[in-house]
Amino acid sequence: MTKKEVAEYGVYEVFIQKSYTDPHIHVGSLVAPTSELAMQWARENFLRRDSAVSLWVVQREHIDQTSTDFLARELDRKYREVRGYTENGRLWRMFKEKTLTIEEIVAAVEEKNRNLKSKNKK
Amino acid sequence: MNQEEMFMKRIKQGEKIEATDWMPDEYRQLLIKLIHMHAVSEIMGAYPEKEWVPKAPSLRRKLAIMAKVQDEMGHGQLLLRIVEDLVYPLGKKREDLIEDIYYHRVKFHNVFHMEARTWADAGLIGWLVDGAAIINQAALLSTSYGPYARVLKRICAEESFHMQHGENIILTLAMGTAKQKQMLQDSLNYWWESLLFFFGPKEVTPAAERMIHYRIRTLTNEQLRQKFFDKYIPRIHSIGLTIPDPHLKYDTEKKCWVYTEPDWKKFSEIVKKNNGPKSRERIELRRQAHEGGRWVRQAMLCKPVG
Ligand SMILES: [Fe+2]
Ligand SMILES: [Fe+2]
Repeated sequence: MTKKEVAEYGVYEVFIQKSYTDPHIHVGSLVAPTSELAMQWARENFLRRDSAVSLWVVQREHIDQTSTDFLARELDRKYREVRGYTENGRLWRMFKEKTLTIEEIVAAVEEKNRNLKSKNKK
Repeated sequence: MNQEEMFMKRIKQGEKIEATDWMPDEYRQLLIKLIHMHAVSEIMGAYPEKEWVPKAPSLRRKLAIMAKVQDEMGHGQLLLRIVEDLVYPLGKKREDLIEDIYYHRVKFHNVFHMEARTWADAGLIGWLVDGAAIINQAALLSTSYGPYARVLKRICAEESFHMQHGENIILTLAMGTAKQKQMLQDSLNYWWESLLFFFGPKEVTPAAERMIHYRIRTLTNEQLRQKFFDKYIPRIHSIGLTIPDPHLKYDTEKKCWVYTEPDWKKFSEIVKKNNGPKSRERIELRRQAHEGGRWVRQAMLCKPVG
């Protein structure tokens, strides 16, 4: 009995980075004989329309995965989350002020303060 | 176009530089100095608050401040990874980056040399020291160095919990007894000057100018300090506190805050010589933790027998 020759390809997991300020995100997997071809095929499979700035392929056997138990959360962790502090808004209102958010700070530092800039040049 | 000009063209176009890209030596050195100090400040910054973990006034407060301390150590870890990649071509390793702390080869922010004397101090650190740090970090989100920009995004997301945590402690004290309110006022008096110093000198130093040139940062110290004033002064006043600066006022013409400058000399001595009220004690604890853990780090490398 002769065995049919089967080409066994390895599985590669594919990660795409959409912009330089984003992390690489897992989008799926494919089989390929080499990492070079995995890269080529990943581009054809996952990036026919979407643009990206970087692509990673990783052999599946090089990925270690956890069990769900490992990530189980029995305890209430609201004390370490923003939503554990919703009363702040009500408390600030008593002082006629409002709670500060990270978005507000980001907006404040992004708005260019021309006044100060020209003053600093002097 | 030579390598340097190509690099500057990328920067001007708003591109992000990656760890393995070619970069001028000066750019690498500036990044190492900035991010190493940032990383070490996160780690040393956990100490003032960790001192309050055993003394927190309730179980919930204890859990929350512990969570925050853990976050700050985590920020230190994320940032040290960035520095590790930057110093790799220079032959330096994580061990060196940590040892630099107790051989006084790296500085950390003045605020973390100060003493957290009361629970109000712990709260004020969470509210205003974190507040100042968040302004700094938010302004760095647009940095030209890609790995730093990505890590800062993550850090800022976690800082939004720190903001709420700090506000909550402060609001509770502000609504408390006369004694609690007084404790809060004392705390503001103790920290105010430190907070002003935190943003650095008013003038743009040569190093800061180079950082702006490379778009590692885009705002000056004074611009950041003014942003801090904008956001926090009205809130500090609203809860009935007095800012210990009789000359503080908003100049409506120049559209900026006028204030009494901190004692620049005193605080830069603290940072340069590590001789603040708590510097030596905390650095010694860091040394013990690092040296004492050496055998564990080594043991973990060993393959199990059999
Ligand atoms: Fe932090
Ligand atoms: Fe923080």
